[in-house]
Amino acid sequence: MRRIEKPGSLLPAAVRGAKILLTVDGRQIEAYQGETVASALLAAGITTLRLSAKHAEPRGVYCGMGVCYECLVTINGIHAQRACVTPAEDGMVVETCREAEL
Amino acid sequence: MKIESVELLVVGAGPAGLGAAIAAAERGVETVVVDGFSQPGGQYFMQLPAAFSSAKGADMEEKGKLWLDKLGKLPVRVISKTLVWGIFEEEGRDTWLAALYGSDSPRYFRAAKIILAGGAYDSPVPFPGWTLPGVMTCGAALILLKTYRVAPGTKALVTGAGPLLLSVAAHLIEAGVRVEAVCESNRPFPRGLVHLPAILENFSRVREGARYAGKLMSAATPYKAGWSVLSTSGRERVERAVIAKLDKAGRPIPGKTQTFDVDLVVAGYNLTPNTGLARMVGCELNYQPQKGGWIPLRDENMRASKPGVYVVGDGAGIGGADNALLEGQIAGVHAAQETGHLSPASADEILRGIRAKRRSQVRFGKMYGDLFTPQHGLIALAQDDTVLCRCEDVTLGEVKKAIQMGAATLREVKMATRCGMGNCQGRVCERSVSAVLVEAMSGELEAYKSAGYYSIRPPLHPIPVQFLAESQLEDL
Repeated sequence: MRRIEKPGSLLPAAVRGAKILLTVDGRQIEAYQGETVASALLAAGITTLRLSAKHAEPRGVYCGMGVCYECLVTINGIHAQRACVTPAEDGMVVETCREAEL
Repeated sequence: MKIESVELLVVGAGPAGLGAAIAAAERGVETVVVDGFSQPGGQYFMQLPAAFSSAKGADMEEKGKLWLDKLGKLPVRVISKTLVWGIFEEEGRDTWLAALYGSDSPRYFRAAKIILAGGAYDSPVPFPGWTLPGVMTCGAALILLKTYRVAPGTKALVTGAGPLLLSVAAHLIEAGVRVEAVCESNRPFPRGLVHLPAILENFSRVREGARYAGKLMSAATPYKAGWSVLSTSGRERVERAVIAKLDKAGRPIPGKTQTFDVDLVVAGYNLTPNTGLARMVGCELNYQPQKGGWIPLRDENMRASKPGVYVVGDGAGIGGADNALLEGQIAGVHAAQETGHLSPASADEILRGIRAKRRSQVRFGKMYGDLFTPQHGLIALAQDDTVLCRCEDVTLGEVKKAIQMGAATLREVKMATRCGMGNCQGRVCERSVSAVLVEAMSGELEAYKSAGYYSIRPPLHPIPVQFLAESQLEDL
């Protein structure tokens, strides 16, 4: 997991939005305006976003387009938000693996 | 509560929805488009985020821009980041009521005509370890790579069915990810040769495929036809993947395996049409595996079995983006005629032209379905402790038990196991639960029809209870 910096023929050069900061489980991570919470988390190496309901197994981004609801996280205190379709915003507080508790 | 009225409501802003909205609005139809994402374009024409910038976009992005520009010049209202959670037939009127959930959207629209353009998502095939973080669909990988410029791993396996695998692998390679292998569960060669005319008349796609194949070759990534992932394992995320050779039916052949250390497995076994809203409004469906499974029955003008409802694009059966644009145009023009903006004679003439253009796309779609439909036998990858329903954590063993106890349809399995009752409303497990039912019945593919499909009720998406309570309509 890392950000792609070198442009190529399939992915031409692009400039990301302004740098922003998110707090994830108490830790600050850098992100960019325009990307989703899922993209920011993956770029920061955070892959487990929730624990499954019955067996408490780690789950992460699966469909990436809002269909499967595997990437549910708590954002600014509101639970069950889809990380893959929620735009990241400066100062956002994200909590992973809290779905089972609620 | 205020209900806004409009002549035409288009749900989805991918190629099909864009084609429909532009064709209708160009003829003067008052049109509103509702889409779930931040920006119109859908998955295929996905644009960079508005906060990002680039001198020149990727190919599909540039192609999409042309259509988005066209739409932008028309008086069409596009409502983004908004879900349609319900569509209701209004008794005594010839209209539909669509219920919306979004931060700055109206709560309801009343429309005489509705065009559903919901697109498609990767068909999931369960295998041991498929719920581990680091296993994701082709769609997820492509969005991360193309839209957000994030490489979701360092060493990858790409597995599934369909040409999308090549695109994913090529983009990963360009992003500096080591792709150990691309496993295509079908064997498209040499069978594909019978489709040579359809392939040649769609030469731009051949060129696109060749470009991807070039990336694979330069990275020495093997393309293994007739292979699939068998299992993945790891503690907190994927660390290892085993692949297996498959027999013709798609079942793994014992002993023919290979193991890779990877931190990313991209798995997508072709596409499944997103038919949620069509099911909700009661459109009659038809089982056509080569089109992606259960799809709405339609006439030549893309009208479904419910009056005033059209279904277009991959959400009505997998056919690709070019076909989706044309299907959208057909529906848009027909809706323009039905709402009195176009005389039957001129509508006829325009429709004839679009249908002629669509013929080669239909041939391409046939080829695509013939070569890349995931085999029924892939269900043999799942073991008894493999989770089929990710939302409710229901395993294959539990589904088999329900079937032994007498469940004979998807509906009955749902009642017995909670499979399909979770947040995704069965989008992820429907295909595999059907396959298990078919295995238990006769093994004959006809049994898919008797297994049926999950019915969909509003709300289509999980909506906060507070919002639903506030959306209560007192008097229609």
